[in-house]
Amino acid sequence: MIDVKKLWRKRRNAHLTQTLKYFSLMANSGLIVSLILLIVVGSIYYAKLLKALPESFPAVLILTLLFSFWLTKSPIRTLLKEGDLVFLLPVESGMKQYFSQSLSSAIASGSFMTLFLFTLTWPIVQVFIIDGWKMYVVFAFFLITAKIFNLYVSWEERRLPYKSHQLNYRIMRFIVNFVYVYLLFNEAYIFLIAMFAIMYVLKNFVFGVFRKVHGYQWEMLLAEEQNLKMKGYRLVNYFTDVPALKQTVHKRPWLNSLGSFSFKKKNVMTALFMKTFIRSGDYLGLYIRLILIGFLFLYLIPAGWWQIAVVILFFQMLTLQLFTLYTQYRWNVSFIIYPIESDGKQAAFVKWLRGLLLLQGLLYGVFYGLLSGDWVIALLMPVAAFGYSLFRLPSMTKKHITLSS
Amino acid sequence: MRPILEVKDLTGGYMPNQPVIHNLNFSVKESEIVGLIGLNGAGKSTTIKHVLGLMEPMSGNSKIMGQTFRDEPEIYRSQFTYIPEMPVLYDELTLWEHLELTAMAYGLEEQTFLTRVRPLLEEFRMDNKIKWFPNQFSKGMKQKVMILCALLVEPRLYIVDEPFVGLDPLGIQSFLEYMVAFKNSGAGVLMSTHILSTAEKYCDRFLIMHEGRLILSGTLGELRERSGLKDATLDEIYLYVARGKVS
Repeated sequence: MIDVKKLWRKRRNAHLTQTLKYFSLMANSGLIVSLILLIVVGSIYYAKLLKALPESFPAVLILTLLFSFWLTKSPIRTLLKEGDLVFLLPVESGMKQYFSQSLSSAIASGSFMTLFLFTLTWPIVQVFIIDGWKMYVVFAFFLITAKIFNLYVSWEERRLPYKSHQLNYRIMRFIVNFVYVYLLFNEAYIFLIAMFAIMYVLKNFVFGVFRKVHGYQWEMLLAEEQNLKMKGYRLVNYFTDVPALKQTVHKRPWLNSLGSFSFKKKNVMTALFMKTFIRSGDYLGLYIRLILIGFLFLYLIPAGWWQIAVVILFFQMLTLQLFTLYTQYRWNVSFIIYPIESDGKQAAFVKWLRGLLLLQGLLYGVFYGLLSGDWVIALLMPVAAFGYSLFRLPSMTKKHITLSS
Repeated sequence: MRPILEVKDLTGGYMPNQPVIHNLNFSVKESEIVGLIGLNGAGKSTTIKHVLGLMEPMSGNSKIMGQTFRDEPEIYRSQFTYIPEMPVLYDELTLWEHLELTAMAYGLEEQTFLTRVRPLLEEFRMDNKIKWFPNQFSKGMKQKVMILCALLVEPRLYIVDEPFVGLDPLGIQSFLEYMVAFKNSGAGVLMSTHILSTAEKYCDRFLIMHEGRLILSGTLGELRERSGLKDATLDEIYLYVARGKVS
């Protein structure tokens, strides 16, 4: 028979090795420095923000919502592979040990992350709820207990064969978590004990029953695993190229008009890039986030001509991030064999990116103009975008694309 | 002959109250190859997933040797092997290790494994590739790995989803010969395919699915009779049915 425990250990070790490898790659890339910078700046503003918050700030409600979401969303890495759906099917009941290992490891990392998240919010708790290291320990204990409960029952929840039924139970867990955390932050310990009784009943008599009625939902477990894996890859992809990253596709039909072009050969590449941009993975989200973070910087940094340098920095960041979109097609055979010159493809890429940069510059300009009233510098922002896309972008594209192919 | 697989009033799908397959009734008996045919999207793969126990029926059931998956998961799953439409292999295992893993999963004795595996490897001309990894294989070779793993176990029932795509003619021939040999020694085969000329030659009975329903089933003679097409080939009957002329 197959030793599933050994199989789990092997996969977990491989997973850890890979994570460490990616982590060192991330640490080596320059972006980690900016991350540290961000943390330092962030913590300064965090302290400032705490002081600036009014007395009436609804800290309990906000923290309760935050932790209810956090507790309800309980991902479990099963490290399943596609082949398992064929090769491990005959050992279904033996998989119990395998999955209990993956659940234990999710409990370990989930508890740690809960503690981490709570530590992050501890300053808010200190100011608005209660202070003292004893309370830190008590709150952390109750939150981690709830996390373990959620992971445990959500594993049973994963046995339900339909997504919509799983969602119903997730909503139920959310309500339980909300009440639990709310009672905790109000220090209603007697009621909390009553909550424990409710959770015990749920665990044994509601979620515990699924095990007797349903088998494992292999396909959903595999889909969740792949989804979590891709999330990890996407994070790493901000720092270094991850070849295994498969972009998920979203339909986003309301953006279809942006991706339609007149039926001419010269439009083929621009159309492809635009359609990819609006539908594939995280590109659109990244664009919007960068613009918003740009707004934040324009707001925080005192007004002046140096703001032009700030926006150029953001043009550069966008460009670097969006090169992945070109390299996504590197090994696509139809992309390679289309009767279009390689220079033509690059030129189309530049042209497409220029449009995005111009829009970005324009938005920064409007934002800055409204903020400071200095419309000269505001006007210079889209001009800078145009200049950047004319002088800097083509050479960068050429360099990046020849390097990566 | 005794039935190995019995599907009774099976209804199922991916969302509650939205069944994709409706009230399926069919069986696969000992020493029988049954062809499951239908257009893309007819519900063949969903049917197979229910038989595999990967999906739970909304109503009805699928029994192998008289037991459902819920009764005895382990026994149910040990009665068959499955060849998927797309080969799925572990990137980090060699051909040999895939075979070993399969043997272990089905609880084969090591000696049995060793005596069975050699002739199989030779028959499919993979005996010099046992140390290869999946990334060195072509699509057809990957398919052969899946086939080798399934044949190795010699189960009572084979569930085969479109086995011929990407396979070379010799590979197809070897596979069919094995199927016939196992059938003659009592095994049953449920095979989904679009290659109707091959199906016509090798299958004893046919299940024709259309829009999630079984609309015609039986031996070739029975299909001819029911469709009213005398002397028609399976191809002709299938086209006739697929264009909606049988209700």
